[in-house]
Amino acid sequence: MAAQPKPLPVHQPSYLEGGGIVGWLTTIDHKRVAVMYLASALFFMAFGGLEAMAIRVQLWHPDNHALSAATYNAFFTMHGTTMIFLVVMPLLLGFLGNFLIPLQIGARDVAFPRLNALSFWLALVAGILLHLGWIRGGLPDAGWFGYANLTERYFTPGLAIDWWVVGLLVSGTSTVLTGLNFLTTIIAMRAPGMTYMRMPMFIWSLLVTSILILIAFPALTIGLIFLLFDRFFDTHFYVASAGATPILWQHLFWLFGHPEVYIMALPAFGIISEVIPTFSRKPLFGYPMMAYSICLIAFLSYGVWGHHMFATGMGPVADSAFAITSMLIAIPTGVKVFSWIATVWGGSLRMTTAFYFALGMILEFTIGGLSGIMHASAPIDLQQTDSYFVVAHFHYVLFGGAMFAILSAFYYWWPKITGRMLGERIGKWHFWLTVVGFNVTFFPMHIVGMWGMPRRTYTYGADMGWTHLNQLETVGAFILGIAFLLFYINIFKSLIGGERAPADPWDGRSLEWSTPSPPPAYNFATIPQIRGRDAWWILKYGRAGSRGVAAYMSGQTPTLSQAAQPVDVEHIHMPAPSIFPLVMSLGVGTMGLGLIIDWYRIVIIGAVVVVLSIIGMGFEYADFGQESHDPEHAPSSGGIDVRKIGIWSFIGSECVFFASLISTFIVYKSRSVTGPGPEILNIPLTSFSTFILLMSSLLMVLALAATQRGDKRWERIWLGGTVLFGLIFLCGQVYEFTSFMHEGMGLTTNLFSQSFFVLVGFHGAHVAIGVLWLSVLLVAAMTGNLGKSRALSVELAGLYWHFVDVVWIIIFTLVYLMQAVPGA
Amino acid sequence: MSDIADTHGGQVHHPGAATYLIIAAFLVVLTAMEITVFYVHALRPVLVPVLIVLAAAKFALVAMFYMHLKYDGWLLTGVFVFPLMMAGILLLALILLFAYLSNHMAPIG
Amino acid sequence: MSGRGINRYSIASITMRVAIALTFAGCSSTDRPMTTVSPKSDLANWIQSLYIDVTVWDAIILAIVVTAFILAVFVFSSRVGEAAPAATASSDLGLEIVWTLGPALVLLMISVPTIRTIFRSQPAVAPAGALEIKVVAHQWWWEFDYPDGAKASNELHIPVNRPIRLLLESPDVIHSFWVPQLGGKRDVVPGQINELTFVATVPGMYPGQCAEFCGLSHANMRFRTFVDSPDDFAKWDREQLAGPVATPATDQLASDGAKVFADSPCTTCHMIQGVSKGYIGPDLTHFGGRTTLAAGVLQNTPANVAKWIENPQEIKPGANMPPLLLPGPKLNALVAYLESLK
Repeated sequence: MAAQPKPLPVHQPSYLEGGGIVGWLTTIDHKRVAVMYLASALFFMAFGGLEAMAIRVQLWHPDNHALSAATYNAFFTMHGTTMIFLVVMPLLLGFLGNFLIPLQIGARDVAFPRLNALSFWLALVAGILLHLGWIRGGLPDAGWFGYANLTERYFTPGLAIDWWVVGLLVSGTSTVLTGLNFLTTIIAMRAPGMTYMRMPMFIWSLLVTSILILIAFPALTIGLIFLLFDRFFDTHFYVASAGATPILWQHLFWLFGHPEVYIMALPAFGIISEVIPTFSRKPLFGYPMMAYSICLIAFLSYGVWGHHMFATGMGPVADSAFAITSMLIAIPTGVKVFSWIATVWGGSLRMTTAFYFALGMILEFTIGGLSGIMHASAPIDLQQTDSYFVVAHFHYVLFGGAMFAILSAFYYWWPKITGRMLGERIGKWHFWLTVVGFNVTFFPMHIVGMWGMPRRTYTYGADMGWTHLNQLETVGAFILGIAFLLFYINIFKSLIGGERAPADPWDGRSLEWSTPSPPPAYNFATIPQIRGRDAWWILKYGRAGSRGVAAYMSGQTPTLSQAAQPVDVEHIHMPAPSIFPLVMSLGVGTMGLGLIIDWYRIVIIGAVVVVLSIIGMGFEYADFGQESHDPEHAPSSGGIDVRKIGIWSFIGSECVFFASLISTFIVYKSRSVTGPGPEILNIPLTSFSTFILLMSSLLMVLALAATQRGDKRWERIWLGGTVLFGLIFLCGQVYEFTSFMHEGMGLTTNLFSQSFFVLVGFHGAHVAIGVLWLSVLLVAAMTGNLGKSRALSVELAGLYWHFVDVVWIIIFTLVYLMQAVPGA
Repeated sequence: MSDIADTHGGQVHHPGAATYLIIAAFLVVLTAMEITVFYVHALRPVLVPVLIVLAAAKFALVAMFYMHLKYDGWLLTGVFVFPLMMAGILLLALILLFAYLSNHMAPIG
Repeated sequence: MSGRGINRYSIASITMRVAIALTFAGCSSTDRPMTTVSPKSDLANWIQSLYIDVTVWDAIILAIVVTAFILAVFVFSSRVGEAAPAATASSDLGLEIVWTLGPALVLLMISVPTIRTIFRSQPAVAPAGALEIKVVAHQWWWEFDYPDGAKASNELHIPVNRPIRLLLESPDVIHSFWVPQLGGKRDVVPGQINELTFVATVPGMYPGQCAEFCGLSHANMRFRTFVDSPDDFAKWDREQLAGPVATPATDQLASDGAKVFADSPCTTCHMIQGVSKGYIGPDLTHFGGRTTLAAGVLQNTPANVAKWIENPQEIKPGANMPPLLLPGPKLNALVAYLESLK
């Protein structure tokens, strides 16, 4: 237990103060980034909500013409896309994750603050791209999972799907960067003493979610890249007449899509696991099981994607396998529900709005989970999939689960974020209207679904008996609309004149409540020493618990920064703001825009902006890197620099990226309708290339060894050699590609050629990026700017380079040497 | 936590040039074996398993020695091996699923 | 836990079945013709019994959760400020084992009949004596090709109590074949031939609909399935094979309509045996014999046919059929002719 409360050593300005507009545009403070995510998510949520209302209006009665078929299709597509990619994920990860990770683990910021700002601006650019269809070309209209081959240009000729493809690619990139950042932060930047089994459950959920992001999103990226190639470069990745199959899209999409459900659900579980103990004044029940169950859910979620595809004809064996894995997920999920209830059991409850929403979530989510068991049983799913039953199910999971948790989180953490309380009275109204509106909207969908109403139909016949329930649902949607209106009013009222929030309004348990509300930019004046789970609770009351409560209740409420030794906060070094994340995102957006409106000059302008921003950021980073050798910077990393963890996470994610490409190649290579097959591949040439790349890896490690021992001469020689060998490899690839072109095999020749060129081409692009990266290091070495102190920079580039090498080892074997082995 | 500060930035455990050269020699030999297997017709029946073993060996050598996983501890190994394992599951699952599907696909052409 | 062994669940099962029946009272298949819970085939029956199994288990679990929840929130807890101190128990191995193994056991109970049904409902080869019908799903209408050469559009006729094997094909995008009363859906995927095998057990008309979003008029891609008695089916089949009914010479309007049709652009896309050879749109040889038009969207009445021909886009946005600008008398004649094609 800390010493006596002392007056504040100095005034601690909150993170919200100062900087003006420019300060916000250039901010890399995780809390400000979080607030910007919040603003953009609330903005897009209004869009998504209004689209949902319009959908409900159209379904008010049979054969209605309130919306045209085209508008209706666009609205349900955008409702789903918006709510998932621009609202729920940004709120859970961008907003809550960003704000709370450093505060709950006792850090001053995330591991890569610039990257974090970049994630936000990219997410915003993605949101804008997805909505540019309002201005030109129409809104995307093929459903949020955009099944191929409806998305091929032949069937959807306009720009609408183009906006969708490019928007989602940008959004996915942003999310992967966030995942990488969070993973590294949680691994490496926990305060001293915060072991994995002492982390708040919300941090556990985000740790696992980040891993899921890294292994799930690459599959979507690959699916989208194929679609992009099909739409812009005339390949046929999803065209049946070319021997391909649109089912490939479904596999890639759901390989992402099902983990995505848990990317949205796990943080929600985490929130509930924070709110319930606080308002029950009890520790979380079964903490270890709660942590393990998160891990197990995530692991299983990667093996269940097929349950979205039972109707596609995968065959009885695959159906059974996916049915069993899907059912297994219910076990750890059940553990969570029961443990939450056990936490409440015997508690001393404080019935706040945040707690109401958390309790509501337990019940609503349970209903969604139970209907999920039905879908896991493949034969039942055949009656329910693509009907309103499924619509009911996933709204119980995503609204009843994720959205209730998000609303709970709002009421819980809003005081910490803004320094003001949300209205409890209006909050209770908000809660009850939400519960009523939600259940009136979505419960009847189970029944109309059972009565056979298919989803995504803009109209229905009067003779189907669906009318009354649809009207009930529409009424419910309007109640829900009013509830959300109250929510926005509550936020607004709080911002302009809400009650001031104390540092610890709920008698919280985790570290964020030890900071002032709102926290200062640096979060903690001194990094706290963690002694157990519920770190702040222990600091407040000691391990004994209730004995300390009395003292606390008597009004002696130390904040941690007060309790600790006075420190000179002026000397806390925070990374400098940067404009480049914003500029770079604008560049990316410009590239996407140019590609879509088919104006390549704009693409080039965007690319130039991106490259210049990378260079600019590189210089900033080099400066920052010099100063970051501060032992406090990475207290829990076990001596491993955050950048090294970051690059390894990236490499892990790349494994899935290449696995998706390689499996596509294996599946498609012998399904070409015409033209050459794998026998065209030149083994002598690529054997030579393989040798060159392996040797370049040798030179790379020798360069690193030279740098580490401070040998500047050999550092230059070996680095130069690596670059040279990389260039030779690239030349070999250029030669190989041109000779194929001469033999008449281009990108679009057949299924084999397109899978080959895209796979090997992406690998080549990685080599090219590696060569550029190494060239920068070479220049630095030549100008004497490398050396022993920067050995890590060489090591990072080396790790990337070796990874590109091991990918080639796999490609050389599976693509070249196994050319005679028939594909799947 | 002071013990951690001591090892911070410590790359002292990394092997030296000799190890790297030995690994390189192994890699070259393994590659030569792969190419041999490819050209020797008698080995066609065992082509796939042999090539996979050889590639896995090369992969492991580079990852363990050149990428220092053997020396850098379990954390980085975990960060890499878990996604790698998932990628492997993905690859295998897709190949099996499409092997079934191709029986139901309309004849090519 | 066999698929048929519902009765074995005794009291719980009976209570639940009554509850389910009450909940969906009034959901007779005439009021809700697309209902999934009024099975009329072996396949639909298997799914139904599995569905009831799982619903019973779900209801039991939900009851346990809700009871525990109510007890926790309203009975075995106090409110802040009340005298009772907060308990601090934060784990209990016994409890945790129970709520891990309990659900696991339930899932085992569900998974066994699930897997049985999966294999039973997807036979690798067609059952003996099965009628194999090729189903071609188009944007946005259905074509049914019978092995004897009969062709139907948007209205599928099948005999009762005979195994049916549907071979599903799509020339454009992914669709999904779904007749809820006859069983679950099966996607129709371009480049792939999917199968759906079942035996319809009760004669009647069962509406169906495309269940995979397939573009602008996905909502308008409906169809009807008629499960006929063997005699009715044989009769229908003979009629289809026989070619069009000759327009009686006495029916002046219909005869005029025949000329209008022959001179119109209709012939490019529509086939009437002996008259035109179009194949892009539905075969109209027996148009007058169908109960609906425009893929199940409209009742087949002369007024609706006229409305459709005048502006198909209004009824089915995005349909390939252009508006046919015919003067009133010609339109009436054309409608009369089409309706005469029994």
